[in-house]
Amino acid sequence: MFDPMLNNSPFDINMALDNNFDVLMPYSNVKLDSIHTLTQDAIFSRSPSGIKRTGIFIGGKDIGLAMDMMNSAKQAMVPPFEVSVLADPSGAYTTAAALVACVEKELHEKHHKALKDCKAVVFGGTGPVGIATGVIASLAGTETQLVDHMSLAAAQDTAKEYNRRCKSNLSGAIASTDAEKIALLEDVDIIFCTAKAGIQVISPEVLAQAKQLKVAGDVNAVPPAGIAGIQMNDSGAPLNALEGAVGLGALAIGNVKYQVQHKLLKLILATDKPVYLDFREAFSEAKKLV
Amino acid sequence: MEKPYILHMLTTAKNLSPFDVNMAVDAGWISAIPYINVEPSETKSLVQDVIFSRSPKGLQNTGIFIGGRDSKQAMDMLKTAKNTMLPPFAVSVFADPSGAFTTAAGMVTAVEEQLKQKFNTSFAGKNLLALGGTGPVGQAASVLAAQAGANVTIIGRQLDKAERIAELCNVEFGEGKIAIKAATNSDLTELIKTADVVFATGAAGIELLSSEQIASAPQLKVVADVNAVPPSGIAGLDPFDNGQEIANSPSGAVAVGALAIGNVKYQTQNRLLKKMINSEEPLFLHFEHAFEVAREVINSSK
Repeated sequence: MFDPMLNNSPFDINMALDNNFDVLMPYSNVKLDSIHTLTQDAIFSRSPSGIKRTGIFIGGKDIGLAMDMMNSAKQAMVPPFEVSVLADPSGAYTTAAALVACVEKELHEKHHKALKDCKAVVFGGTGPVGIATGVIASLAGTETQLVDHMSLAAAQDTAKEYNRRCKSNLSGAIASTDAEKIALLEDVDIIFCTAKAGIQVISPEVLAQAKQLKVAGDVNAVPPAGIAGIQMNDSGAPLNALEGAVGLGALAIGNVKYQVQHKLLKLILATDKPVYLDFREAFSEAKKLV
Repeated sequence: MEKPYILHMLTTAKNLSPFDVNMAVDAGWISAIPYINVEPSETKSLVQDVIFSRSPKGLQNTGIFIGGRDSKQAMDMLKTAKNTMLPPFAVSVFADPSGAFTTAAGMVTAVEEQLKQKFNTSFAGKNLLALGGTGPVGQAASVLAAQAGANVTIIGRQLDKAERIAELCNVEFGEGKIAIKAATNSDLTELIKTADVVFATGAAGIELLSSEQIASAPQLKVVADVNAVPPSGIAGLDPFDNGQEIANSPSGAVAVGALAIGNVKYQTQNRLLKKMINSEEPLFLHFEHAFEVAREVINSSK
């Protein structure tokens, strides 16, 4: 388990051990330029049949760095000396995958729409879960804006960086005042809220102006909800303020996230050929689960 | 399938102690996961990651160990961990920085047993000198003995440090219910004349109590030393001693050495680590729990 942070996340460790990995080795404070050597030390110390029972997990808090680490690990493989790699920094890939998959399901069931027909905004769009959510939605064809609450430049730079990395089509926006939020929400179909826990980003008054809104998903599990009126357990419950719109709460999304992470860890052990799993596989597993 | 036993082991030092890792795995924890160089401020988020990634049932097979070198810091981390729990999302936590809590518990209970066996008495009202008592083991041992009723004086090389540590012990660890005093080595000649018990918890290889000082202690009953490396911290004490009379004592004082203490410490730590596994309710364990368990260890060995 490679992690650029001071310490690995106990969350990832519990999840890995609960999915039949018997022995787990934390590597913390790992630098990008160590990944090549660490990966080669992992692959060259077991026979090709032994390394089928070996896997690499990439954690951290920075998804750009996790993408670079994944690329570096891939390049270090020398088939048949090759192991599966799963990246899920801060759990962002699996959380974002669960969020977008749950929203897609509600769009389809309640509104007979697909992601590609819709326009979305991501609040908290410059954080790890926000970026991953934006990328997944954009790659599914949604016209998606990453919203930062402080800086337009930060939002635009983030959109540009991940468009380059992931071939997505994101744009950036700022919304610090209610007026700015209302202007952004005027014609959106989807609100993703991935902002900091315990902060209400969308008040009832702002929400009431989102006349086109179809589905809103909020990953914040600490009250108050990021989007006013969404309960943690909501799984397609009507949003009072708006006719037709439905909401998804943190526990409904978290339940799918948890299962996606389980599934991906299981895939590593089950596969005959090494797999490289990131937000793309997380999203396709999440779609199957919902 | 039952979830594997995972012990998340946090230390502020740059490595975990291999002692604690061996103890954890031998007590039945399947995975002992190291978190090193932990900043105390990280405790909350690490604990949250521990408790939110397993079901309440799985969390019964999950625990947190707090190591490090600083007892105050470890106790603060234990408190933070306890306050972070959101029942039913909660796990047991055990603090034993530098093994100091279990070592101190081993020493205090081994001495208590000698007081009872050889002198038919207890810590209540006894004058106790903690030599080299400013370190983690000395602190915890002083607090436990004071809680058991002894009049404890921590003796250090510098008075201001000894006073600071005595204050820390009284306020933080003793919650204001004990009154440990402080003194320096130069006071020892006078203080030894009325001492009943001496703990030596100084650095290895330094003699803290001479045979002349033992000869000048007319009411001395038990001397104990946690140092296993010669020379002994107490003149004439052998690491294997467990109730043997010490040379030159006019009052027939007996000695408790590092190996006798280590034996109780080892079993105490093992039992506490097992308690975490077996408990239905989350436990938050520190020196006081180590003391209770060390008493059980002593009683079960009779």
